[in-house]
Amino acid sequence: MSIRKSQKEATRQRVLDAARDLFETEGYEETTVREIARRAEVSVGSVFTTFASKSEILSQVMADRLDGLYAELDRVAPNLRGSTADRLRSMFAIHYAYETRRTKLFLAHIAAAYDWTLGPNTRPYGRNMRLREIMRELLKGGVERGDVDASVDLEGVIDALTAIYAWTYRLAAWEDADATQLSAVFDRQVGLIADGFRPR
Amino acid sequence: MKHVPGSLQADLEAEVRVPTRRALAKQQTRLKVLAAARKLFSEEGYEGATIRDIAAAAGMSTGAVFANFSDKSDLFREIMNADMVLLSEAMRDAAQKGRTVDDALLRAFAAGYAFYKSQLPLARAAFSISWAPDQGPELRASPPVQALHELIAEQLQLGVERGELSQEAEIKLRTQMLWDCYLANYPEAIFLGWSLDALQAKARDQIRVILAGARRG
Repeated sequence: MSIRKSQKEATRQRVLDAARDLFETEGYEETTVREIARRAEVSVGSVFTTFASKSEILSQVMADRLDGLYAELDRVAPNLRGSTADRLRSMFAIHYAYETRRTKLFLAHIAAAYDWTLGPNTRPYGRNMRLREIMRELLKGGVERGDVDASVDLEGVIDALTAIYAWTYRLAAWEDADATQLSAVFDRQVGLIADGFRPR
Repeated sequence: MKHVPGSLQADLEAEVRVPTRRALAKQQTRLKVLAAARKLFSEEGYEGATIRDIAAAAGMSTGAVFANFSDKSDLFREIMNADMVLLSEAMRDAAQKGRTVDDALLRAFAAGYAFYKSQLPLARAAFSISWAPDQGPELRASPPVQALHELIAEQLQLGVERGELSQEAEIKLRTQMLWDCYLANYPEAIFLGWSLDALQAKARDQIRVILAGARRG
C-alpha cells in the first residue's frame, strides 16, 4: 500500500472511531461533522473527501459494527444445539446483547433509517440481508432435523421474525430494557411462531 | 357524563354560547397554520420544514404561529394525532368487512397502508418520533394507537369465538406481534416504493405465520 493510500485509510479509521464515540455519548443529531473532525484531529475538508454526509459516516460505523456481530455469529452458529426455536432464540439473544452494548448508537441508526435526508450509500436498519440468510439456513436445518414443517412458508417466517425482533428493540429505547429483558419478550414470541411451523 | 342536577342545564348553556369573534379568528389562524404545516411536512419532511416556511405558506408572521403552537414538534403532534384518529377509524371500518380473522386483519392493515401511501414523508417523521425515548411512549399511549391495538385484539377474540383460533391464542402477545409486523412493513413502502398490492401480500404471509400456531386442530 502506498504511503498516501495508507494515510487516507488511517484518516478514515480515525473519523469512524471519533464518530462512533460521539454518536454514542452525545447522540447522532447533536453531533456535528465539525466535532467529529476535531476529535479525529483531521480537517473538516478531509472528512468530506472520504464521506459525503454524516448519515454516510453513521452507516459505515454501523456496517463495521455489524461485521463484528456477524463474525461472532459465524463462530457461534455451528455450535448451536437444540430445537429450531431455541437456536433462533440463541441467535437473537446474541443480537440483543451486541446491540445493547451501545444502545444510543443503535437507536441513532434506527432513527436515521427514517431520516428524510438519507443518502444513497446508507444502509438503513431492517435491510440486513445477512441476518435473513442466517435465519434461512437455520430454518432449512430445522426442516432436515424434522422440527420445521417442509410445507411452511420460510420467507414469511423470516419476515415475521425480522419485524418482531426489530420492533421489540423499542423497549430499549422507551424503557431502557437490557438484553435479558429484550430476549425474554422475544423468546416467548418465537415460541408462538414455532407453534405454527412445527410439523402436524 | 355525570348525572347531577343542574349539569344538563349547564351543558345546554355551554352549547349555545356563541364564540367571540376573537375566538373564531384564533381558530381560523390555527387551521390555516395546520394546513400549511401539513403541506410542508408532506413535501419536505419534518426536518426540512421550518416554522418560518410554514408561517410564510400560511401568510402570517412566525410570531402568529408561535402564538398558537409552542414549537414545531407541537404542530407536528397535532397533525399526527388528527391523522391517527382518522386512520384508526378507517382501519376499524375495513376490519368490519372481514369474514375471517385473517381477512379482517389484512383489510385493516391494507386500509392503514392506503391511508399513508400518499403522505409517506409524514409517516416517516412519525416513525422517527416513535423511536425517541421521550416521545415514543407518549405516542404509544395515545388514544388512537391504543384503539388500533384494541382493534387487533378484538379481531383475535372474534376469531376465538368463531372457533377459528384456539382458546389459548395468547391474544395480548399476538396482538403485539401483529402490530410489529404492520409497522415493520412501512420502510418497504418508504424506501423501496412498494405497491399496495406488494405490501398486502407481505402482510398476508406475516398474519398467516403468526396465527398458524393458534389454529384449531
